Amino acid sequence: MMIGFVGIPAASDHCHMRLRNGLIHQGSTRPNHCRPRTVIRCCSTTRGRSRDYYQVLGVTVHSTPQEIKEAYRKLQKQHHPDIAGYKGHDYTLLLNEAYKVLMRNLSSRRADGKSRGRSFGIGYTGDGYSSWNGPVRGQALFVDENKCIGCRECVHHAARTFAMDDVLGSAHVEIQFGDLEEQVQLAVESCPMDCIHWVESQELPVLEFLSRPQPKEGHGIFGGGWERPRNVFAAAKNFARRLQREEEEMEREQSSRSHGGAEGEAETEAQAEARRRAGEELRWKPLLDVWNGLRGQKKGGTDP
Amino acid sequence: MQPGSSASPLLLPPSTAFSPLHSPLRSRSHCNCSSPRLRRSIAKHRREVARAVTVAFAWPQMSEHFYTVASDSETTGEDKPQQSFPDVAIGIDIGTSKCSVAVWNGNQVELLKNTRNQKGMRSYVMFKDDTLSAGVTGAAARENGHEERDILSGSAIFNMKRLIGRMDTDEVVQASKSLPFLVQTLGIGVRPFIAALVNNMWRSTTPEEVLAIFLLELKALVEMHLKHPVRNAVLTIPVSFSRFQQTRIERACAMAGLHVLRLMPEPTAVALLYAQQQQQFMHDNMGSGIEKIALIFNMGAGYCDAAVAATAGGVSQIRALSGCTVGGEDILQNIMRHALPSFDSLYAGQTMDRIKSIGLLRIATQDAIHKLANQDTVEINVDLGNGHKVSKILDHSEFEQVNQAIFEKCENIINQCLIDAKLVPEDINDVILVGGCSKIPRIRSLVLGLCKKEISYKNIDALEAAVSGAALEGAIASGVTDSSGSLDLLTIQATPMNLGIRAGGDSFAAIIPRNTTVPARRDMLFTTTHDNQSEALIAVYEGEGERAEDNHLLGYFKITGIPAAPKETVEISVCMDIDASNVLRVFAGVVKPQGPAVPPFIEVRMPTLDDGHGWCGQALAKMYGKTLDLAVLPKKLQP
Repeated sequence: MMIGFVGIPAASDHCHMRLRNGLIHQGSTRPNHCRPRTVIRCCSTTRGRSRDYYQVLGVTVHSTPQEIKEAYRKLQKQHHPDIAGYKGHDYTLLLNEAYKVLMRNLSSRRADGKSRGRSFGIGYTGDGYSSWNGPVRGQALFVDENKCIGCRECVHHAARTFAMDDVLGSAHVEIQFGDLEEQVQLAVESCPMDCIHWVESQELPVLEFLSRPQPKEGHGIFGGGWERPRNVFAAAKNFARRLQREEEEMEREQSSRSHGGAEGEAETEAQAEARRRAGEELRWKPLLDVWNGLRGQKKGGTDP
Repeated sequence: MQPGSSASPLLLPPSTAFSPLHSPLRSRSHCNCSSPRLRRSIAKHRREVARAVTVAFAWPQMSEHFYTVASDSETTGEDKPQQSFPDVAIGIDIGTSKCSVAVWNGNQVELLKNTRNQKGMRSYVMFKDDTLSAGVTGAAARENGHEERDILSGSAIFNMKRLIGRMDTDEVVQASKSLPFLVQTLGIGVRPFIAALVNNMWRSTTPEEVLAIFLLELKALVEMHLKHPVRNAVLTIPVSFSRFQQTRIERACAMAGLHVLRLMPEPTAVALLYAQQQQQFMHDNMGSGIEKIALIFNMGAGYCDAAVAATAGGVSQIRALSGCTVGGEDILQNIMRHALPSFDSLYAGQTMDRIKSIGLLRIATQDAIHKLANQDTVEINVDLGNGHKVSKILDHSEFEQVNQAIFEKCENIINQCLIDAKLVPEDINDVILVGGCSKIPRIRSLVLGLCKKEISYKNIDALEAAVSGAALEGAIASGVTDSSGSLDLLTIQATPMNLGIRAGGDSFAAIIPRNTTVPARRDMLFTTTHDNQSEALIAVYEGEGERAEDNHLLGYFKITGIPAAPKETVEISVCMDIDASNVLRVFAGVVKPQGPAVPPFIEVRMPTLDDGHGWCGQALAKMYGKTLDLAVLPKKLQP
């Protein structure tokens, strides 16, 4: 989750809280431009936010472009300033942004994702949700939200680093190294469930992605809802392996496709004709050789 | 109906409503009125119009707020006054050649007719000895047949839409010098001098003033029809209008006592009408909201625009817009020069001879072009006096050859529009052709050919579409709802031009790219170019050019008190915000380093420029280009 600029945790905190709440009240919390600073900081576009854009438009990660368009139009009809007056301005800005990002994501997903039919890990962008205060370090903090009981101990000790999600009833890391090292260490030790872990930084995005509740596939009225893996760490290993395999596969596919594609595209009609002739020649050559040889022999036989 | 000729008794003395003391013309300190004499005549005209209107009804509520538009900020924002009458914004289409006005009457859009039963009223203002009269009533030209000749006598100013807000270096202004009234240019980027012939004397005026007089008559016509005062209006403008030109339109409206609720690009108004028709059609067929994509091509006398709109469920979403400044006027001038090759040399200087001859040639050529839409060849045969005669037979191929450059420009804007919308011709469901020039066969075949269509969309009237769309938008933005659902509509606009600032010498850093959905807000980080640079100049431009100089300057301001730091370490954020009524605000300030030593952000409403700006950008670049420069900060890698 990366909004605004590095080093201003307060501002991004503010934004994040609002995004979490689905931004329904944005118009009323910020009716005009009297606080330009927060206004400005809220408008940086970052990829990590696309998760929240699904919430803004009220669509799921599996929605089709048609559904996204319909949702966008429906919301625009309620909130566009032409209809809702000036208070609709901020919300419409967010709608426009969400629509733009989701449609772009969708088209890129269609471009490279359709052929390989990736069925898992949709929405995984490779970015973590927590942002970094200062440079990226080798180790990062991760809260196992399955174990977290929502005691708020960590938030109490390191308020900038940890944040409480009241909907899920668990804490998560908001900004890596948001507080002083001692404070962070104290927070880790204070956890009664020992569910705050130091992990490798490159593992963090997968862990954070998997610890978000994923929509569960439903069949009619059965199933559906949201789930997250029981053991995040095991799931993360599994996920990373699958991801790697898929990526390799995709690379292979892409290289072969681009190879074949280039050939197919470059071939003009004349070239196709030439290729056909060459093929025919190859097929008939032995026979022709035999025939010519025979004729030659015949000729040779008759001439002398 | 002539002013004051109504049989109804005068219910209210005109002085209460249209007193010059309350009029914006009088209370504006810099209202562009060129002379007290003209100001008097406008005031007098205003009184006359008022008399014509007030006879019809008593004003329900007429307090001072009716003319509060006289304040300096031309659009006063959301300060809607308390009104007892239903305040539905009217829709106005000010065309280069003809104007029309429409209003939502509760059930549907109604186009208003003037006393001569015209829906499209010729756009001009006639200057007479001590009176002014606009083309709405056509009081100056009683007999229909002679109206056009009177307009071309030099006493009338027309084509104001092509002149308004333009500098004298502009090629459109240069081309207007062959019109019968006086257009004088100095070629240094200031406003041109225009004047009308009154009693064999040139009397100066401005395009804003002319438009204001016209709008005043138009407003009176509407008020007479609706029997209550109107205040809010939605006007259509060409896509290629700069923000500076838009402020000129707003000023003209303010002078006429109209508050501009929205200025919408002409093709988007047509798109809204199309959305309504599609929704109606869907209702009838019980269908769901299937998305339909329309390409709208609008070519009038002065401008040519194209737009691509995606429509579903009454929402029309503008995907791309493009426009340029060619129109029927250019076609007309090309043909005039073609018919009389010695056109420019023959009539140097604005003499009476020239005015008369050009007027005759103009009428003959215009007739010929109109006829050519329906027949294969046409003859231009006119005696210009002084032994000059024009006799020419014009056919389609010749006509097309002479105007080749214009057709190419039309082609370019359509192609541009399709590319910007990321569509191919096969994606287009309907092609809508509107505007006077859409009757020209070559234009029709060109647009349909580019979109690979056989026929154009039928249910839209080419001359009434834009004004109907504007009236619909007026009703929607005024909060009118309709039980039958025919106002359950929305148009989602897009920006027609890039908006950005000057950075890194003379380059242009676009912050909001064109075709961004409105409302829009984007920001960008910049940094200093010198060590310990304490000030930075933010010069805001609009346009398509790579270099800042190629674009329109909208305004400028300085960020001061930047904390001392080595170059390229300070981060300055420039954020641009466009709201639904197309108001542009620029926020700028230092975001890194943080602390109490950093000055507060600056919010500036654009454009700040009030008058000619040809020299302004150059002067700024020369004085501060090096010292107060900014550079674009490359997007930081995400941690």
